[in-house]
Amino acid sequence: MRADTAPAASRLAPPRTRTSTPRPRPSRAAGQLLAWLLLLVFLVFFVLPVIWLLLAATKTDAQLVRNNPLSFGSWHALRRNWDALTGFEGDTILLWLRNSALYASFALVITLAVGIPAGYALAMTEFRGRHALLVTTLVVMLMPTTTLVVPLFLEINAVHLIGTLWSVVLPYSFYPFGVYLAYIYFSTALPPDLLAAARVDGCTEFAAFRRIALPLSAPIIALVGFFSFVANWTNYFLPYVVLPESSQYPVQVGLGLLLDNVPQFNPTAGTAAVLRPELALATLLAISPVLIVFLFAQRFLISGLLAGATKE
Amino acid sequence: MTSAPATEPAGTRSSRASQRGRPGARRVRAGHVFVAGYVVLLAAFGIVPTAYGIYFAFTNAGNTFAGLANFTGVTRDFRYLPAVEHVGLYLLIWLVTLVVFVTSLSLVLHQLAARRLGRLVRFLYYIPGALAGAASVMVWLFMLDPTVSPAASFLRLLGYGTFGQAVEPGHLPILFAMIAFWTGAGGWIVVMYGALNNIPLEILEAARIDGAGAWRIAQRIQIPLLRKWIVYMVILAFATGTQLFVEPQLISLASLGVAGRDYSLNQLAYDFAFQNDNVNYAAAISVELLVVSLAVAALFVIRSGFFDAS
Amino acid sequence: MPPMNSAVRTRSQPGPPRRRAILAVSLAALATAALSACGGGSSSSTSSVKDGFHQAAQSAGPLTVWVDSTRVPAAQAYQKAHPGAKLNIVTYDGDANGADTLQTKVDLFDRTGSGWPDVVFSSQQNETSWAVSAGFAAPLSEGLIPRSVLSNFATGALNVCTVNGKVYCLRNDLAQVVLWYNAALMKKWGYQVPTTWPQYQALGLEVARQHPGYLVGNAGDTFTPEIYMWASQCQASDITGLRSVTVNVTSPNCSRMASLLDTLIRAGSMSKLSVFSTAFDKNEKGKVLMLPGPSWFGGAVFDTTSGLNMPKGQIAVAPVPQWPGSSTVSTGNVGGGTWLLSAHSAHLKEAVNFITWVTTNDAYQGDLAPGYPAYALAAKVWLSHQTTSGYYANNISPVLEQAAGQVWAGWNYGKWSNEAVWAATIDPGLTAGKAIVSMLPAWQTAITNYATAAGYHVSH
Repeated sequence: MRADTAPAASRLAPPRTRTSTPRPRPSRAAGQLLAWLLLLVFLVFFVLPVIWLLLAATKTDAQLVRNNPLSFGSWHALRRNWDALTGFEGDTILLWLRNSALYASFALVITLAVGIPAGYALAMTEFRGRHALLVTTLVVMLMPTTTLVVPLFLEINAVHLIGTLWSVVLPYSFYPFGVYLAYIYFSTALPPDLLAAARVDGCTEFAAFRRIALPLSAPIIALVGFFSFVANWTNYFLPYVVLPESSQYPVQVGLGLLLDNVPQFNPTAGTAAVLRPELALATLLAISPVLIVFLFAQRFLISGLLAGATKE
Repeated sequence: MTSAPATEPAGTRSSRASQRGRPGARRVRAGHVFVAGYVVLLAAFGIVPTAYGIYFAFTNAGNTFAGLANFTGVTRDFRYLPAVEHVGLYLLIWLVTLVVFVTSLSLVLHQLAARRLGRLVRFLYYIPGALAGAASVMVWLFMLDPTVSPAASFLRLLGYGTFGQAVEPGHLPILFAMIAFWTGAGGWIVVMYGALNNIPLEILEAARIDGAGAWRIAQRIQIPLLRKWIVYMVILAFATGTQLFVEPQLISLASLGVAGRDYSLNQLAYDFAFQNDNVNYAAAISVELLVVSLAVAALFVIRSGFFDAS
Repeated sequence: MPPMNSAVRTRSQPGPPRRRAILAVSLAALATAALSACGGGSSSSTSSVKDGFHQAAQSAGPLTVWVDSTRVPAAQAYQKAHPGAKLNIVTYDGDANGADTLQTKVDLFDRTGSGWPDVVFSSQQNETSWAVSAGFAAPLSEGLIPRSVLSNFATGALNVCTVNGKVYCLRNDLAQVVLWYNAALMKKWGYQVPTTWPQYQALGLEVARQHPGYLVGNAGDTFTPEIYMWASQCQASDITGLRSVTVNVTSPNCSRMASLLDTLIRAGSMSKLSVFSTAFDKNEKGKVLMLPGPSWFGGAVFDTTSGLNMPKGQIAVAPVPQWPGSSTVSTGNVGGGTWLLSAHSAHLKEAVNFITWVTTNDAYQGDLAPGYPAYALAAKVWLSHQTTSGYYANNISPVLEQAAGQVWAGWNYGKWSNEAVWAATIDPGLTAGKAIVSMLPAWQTAITNYATAAGYHVSH
């Protein structure tokens, strides 16, 4: 990017003789106001439905329909919604959350253990098939998943893993996007001279990775980890197909099951009915871990992409 | 980010060449070991299912070779052409809004917001990204219903009095693009923001000293430097756009089938696979989508010089 | 958020011959061949033909039962009544909201040769349209379940389960259409409950004149055709064979009802909103004078806080109006789940016990079931509970019982969803203000298209 910036800057760089004149204030102020307005409009766009969802969890079903959409319900109603939600098939929502956490974290560990070294190798070492590996990964990533379900199921069944944790964790661990990110990161963040020096000193490849690359990988580990976690947490289709019992479902599939018991969608739900505010509460529970992880990872997410510029 | 190969001086390259031999062979072995785990997963969960999927596309239910029969059969289905139209229209709206608004919001955010505020705003922009799929059915069911929506006045301004009016067939491409933007933009803004942070401050300072305003800086410096990221975003957005599924599915659920059913090609593939028990037709559609995505990716890559060193 | 698909930027180095790629492809081909060799085939090698189908080798073990959340109490009641029985209760979505979960899972199980549940509940009525030819549903009328039990189901209740004269599932509940009305209001305004559709239309126009805002019916649900068209003996889904159907919705039987609906919609006494929509809930609450609808409207629309929440003693039930001059009394039907028994089951005796108990026993169907039992004897017990609750203004039992046996047999369920077709074809037009009569040809085309895509031969 250095090469790019030089010509661009020189196009704007004035001949040394010109003195800089301050810009007239009103148009800059108007521009700034417009910019703030843009940010604000989109802020409302992104956040309004979420605020609605938050408030919906504090209302009763009748209040949800009748009261002002952005009104607060009551703590009492929130308590009742919580009790009803956890009462659904006996604390199943908490079980689902636990399942999601389990699947996503196990997959996270494997993804990182497998993807970071792979990205490093793709970036920093020469070996036959490197190019083919990258191209194959692309093709595989762009294939729609609809038809992949049947062969995936057959594969997992062939190794007798259907119904186990691994039927979900192992497919999750295949995260080519993460490998590409690592590849980009290592090819730009690691000074090749550092590695060259290490090799000249007689360092083995593994030692070079462990001593030089790994300590510098904190940003990319956080980046890949975050994206992988979110992708796995929000995955619906794979667990829906391969998991036989609802007690094994992750929370995303569980939400679908709850939705199926909302009287407005399933009038004959009877005693298993899940009222809409309870569903809102369940949704909030389901998205919280993702948001918490995002908050943590945010600082890495930015600095992770700074690779290549800041070190200079 | 593509600077490494380009700026690699000739000296390093030749010194690397002279290191072929035992250390070179060790490096090759190490390379293989490092990627071994990934290759196993790639083979098991990438190559094999994809190959099987392609196999399905060219065979029929009796596992005999069917040539292009599945592809022609799919084209003759009454839902196919409308679905192609829908996806085409959606893609247009989706790509334009994504590029224009993600770029401008990232630029504006970068320009205006101080650190803490910037982080908060980026977080708030990202939150809808956590509401994927089933989680947002209820949200949109209420948001689009003028009777109960927080945006009721806006909906009424557009002339929609009931939920049914809001999900009329003509509104669907825009609606789906809006929902996709709502969930997807936040993440891309984070990425673009990071890319903007990559631009050395000296360049921006120099331009500012020379009297360039924010718009000028954006136009002449920042956007050209974001070009590769924008192309990256377009390629990914195109691929996911052709595979449109989640948004029409969730509106179909929310509206009990009134809107969004059989809307996209991917939904049609899903119906073929799981309703009509016809995995072969579903695979044919999947292969078509794959080919189109690859073709466009290749096109963008070549024309934008995506692979060129910067 | 940047999705998993990402384009790759490869270095523009000339690579060695793509050996890796070739290796990968051959690996894939090998694996594919291996997988296709593994998959398919039936699970047991020692099967015998008994009770009309190939029975798998029987063994001891827990009975695997798939139910939806609403039917969990049924399985639990069975367990309570049979403490020695070993049950493995699995909850799934019950194919609610038009999902194809059961078919998808059975297809996967068929490919791997194992994993089928022994007994499964489905909230849909068309499972037999695929489950019979897939060899999943076991015939029950050929020896597994005695004729005496089968004959005690309401007349026509087992039609959805019957293929080529054999019964392949048991009906859980019925959803016969009756005329719900507000007895207090009817009395107050001096109206008579209509017995014919022309009377109903006349009353609807009268109400629109004298009491604008009040409703005599609703045409905005996805199951609207199953209430009105079915009751009018409209041939929208006349299944004539395993893969053949007669569709003729431009016939007089259909257009007469469509024109009635159009007239009342135009007059304003018939709503275009779904009874479960927020707009209906907010605006029409308490404004319902009459509402033709299935038996479950009582608990799902009137007597519930998430519906109209009508007070006690106001809502009554009457038989649905008839067209003058029709030879048979007919009504419609909206729903009713089914229980299927897997032909692959290795525990047939226990499975038969379970499926029989859960559909016929008073302890569940009579006392606990949320819907009108399809088994006539249990229905009597169910109805007695409804009357003792004192919620309704009249005795609903004779009306519901009678209607249970009057569901018109000329409408059945094919592989496609009638509700989905109506929702996608008619509802948008209704919202846009079009007349249903004008949309009948489009409806005909849509049903024909979906039926043909599902492999049916369509005759008109």
